[in-house]
Amino acid sequence: MSEIVIDVGKRHIREINEELQEACKSGKPIRVVNTLSRHNLGVGLPDGADITFEGSVGYFCGGLNTGSKLRIERNSGWATGEGMAKGHIQVDGRAGMSCGAAMIGGTIHVKGDAGPRCGVAMKGGNIVVEGKIGYQSGFMAHSGKIIALGGAGESCADALWEGEVWVAGPVESLGVDVDVVEPTAEEVAEVDAILEPLGLVDSARDWRKMVSGQRLWYFEARDASAWLMI
Amino acid sequence: MCGIAGRILNAPGQVGRDLVNLMDAQEHRGADSTGFAVYGAPMEQGYVLRGMGFDKAQMDSDLDAFRHVLKDHGSDLMGDPRIVTDAAKHYCFRMEIKDPKNLQAWVADADDLTDRIEVQSCGRSLEIIKDIGGAEQVSEKHKVHDMIGTHGLGHARLATESSVLPNASHPFWARPFSDVAIVHNGQITDYFTQRNRLERDGYRFLTENDSELIAVWVSDQMKQGLSMQQALTKSISAIDGVFTFMIATPDGIGFAKDRFAMKPLVVIEHPGELAAATEEQAVRRVYVDESDVINHDGPSLTGIWGVGNRSMAA
Repeated sequence: MSEIVIDVGKRHIREINEELQEACKSGKPIRVVNTLSRHNLGVGLPDGADITFEGSVGYFCGGLNTGSKLRIERNSGWATGEGMAKGHIQVDGRAGMSCGAAMIGGTIHVKGDAGPRCGVAMKGGNIVVEGKIGYQSGFMAHSGKIIALGGAGESCADALWEGEVWVAGPVESLGVDVDVVEPTAEEVAEVDAILEPLGLVDSARDWRKMVSGQRLWYFEARDASAWLMI
Repeated sequence: MCGIAGRILNAPGQVGRDLVNLMDAQEHRGADSTGFAVYGAPMEQGYVLRGMGFDKAQMDSDLDAFRHVLKDHGSDLMGDPRIVTDAAKHYCFRMEIKDPKNLQAWVADADDLTDRIEVQSCGRSLEIIKDIGGAEQVSEKHKVHDMIGTHGLGHARLATESSVLPNASHPFWARPFSDVAIVHNGQITDYFTQRNRLERDGYRFLTENDSELIAVWVSDQMKQGLSMQQALTKSISAIDGVFTFMIATPDGIGFAKDRFAMKPLVVIEHPGELAAATEEQAVRRVYVDESDVINHDGPSLTGIWGVGNRSMAA
């Protein structure tokens, strides 16, 4: 099947995104070239499209995705896939700050490192980072999993809600109100099921599973002395 | 949200053109005003001044008063000043002056005219050009595109903490330290506390812009004996707020980022030269190929990039 090529350059992003939406209706694979790290590329994509961005993209690429498959062949800027509900985003390089912020479903796969606050406030879906996740990743994540295979930066999983942060490799420091727990075999199998389609399963991995300590969840109850930790 | 940029060349070249491109790509981060700090060929004697007068109807009398202060300090103009005007009420000037007997004392007296005329940079090689409008607009007015030098800074301002005035634009000169300039993206939350401390030590601030404070704070630390690297490191714990700033001297550019990793900095380095900016799409205006990008996006980071073989240790 032939592919549709969309050239970004210095054209207006609204024009590019309208062209993308039209191209999605054709059912053909789409290749977006000359991306120049521009912001807001491929925001609000429908279900079922297959789009490759040839080069680096700027902020919010794949934001509000409702089911398309995106591949970014180099780096992505801030908030890749922010608020996405469904679909798959692969970043071949590194992702900037707030990757997967507030996403509610789907999968983001970053082959390099991810910047600070990866998965901030996410409410579902999975983020797999082959490299390291940055400072304060998982901050206030309500649901879903952040899986980092190359370690984590400072203040990891700070103020987590019901999301989970799984890290293989060194963790520079933990955030507030985080517990590191021993995962059960069933839980590891669940994570491996996420990694398996990406070809990233390694049974020898030494996981650190981080969950909320729940000591700061309700101000008026539980362990008031925990607030002094902040 | 503001946009900042730095550029270092491995030999004197079109640093003005590159800074305009870096800032044009970041105009959406703040189109209130744009500014540039360019380090050109250093003068062996004398200083180049850039500044602004606030009422062009009073230009002749303001410049006369300014010249009297120069003469009082054993200095004078080395030629006719270059004046730039347009429809706006303010005017901008560039002038070269002979060495005052005591630079700090002259700056203090010249600042008494600050309600009429304001020196915005003073250096052997530093020139700060700033004005209302986007990068191309400011460049067209002040011919920044044609400026030759080794390195420089750029800034696109979205005014948040002080007014949209031409003199509240960045970069800021670290008054009264010659040849030191700063650009900053962020907010300093203990601004008035820090400012009070520095004012008690005799420093004078001409705006209520927090970036002006950082420039003076870092320079003061170095005056007290810290190296640039030590001062940058100390700034992260001593100054409260979210920030990424770049500070330039004739020897290069240093940067510091706050403890919360809120403000990005993206760099492409090639041997002997680099481009740094808030956004990747800006550095790709200078390096259009897919060079590897370095993301300084962690918390509490500092770094120094020297020009040529020069060290910024002192």
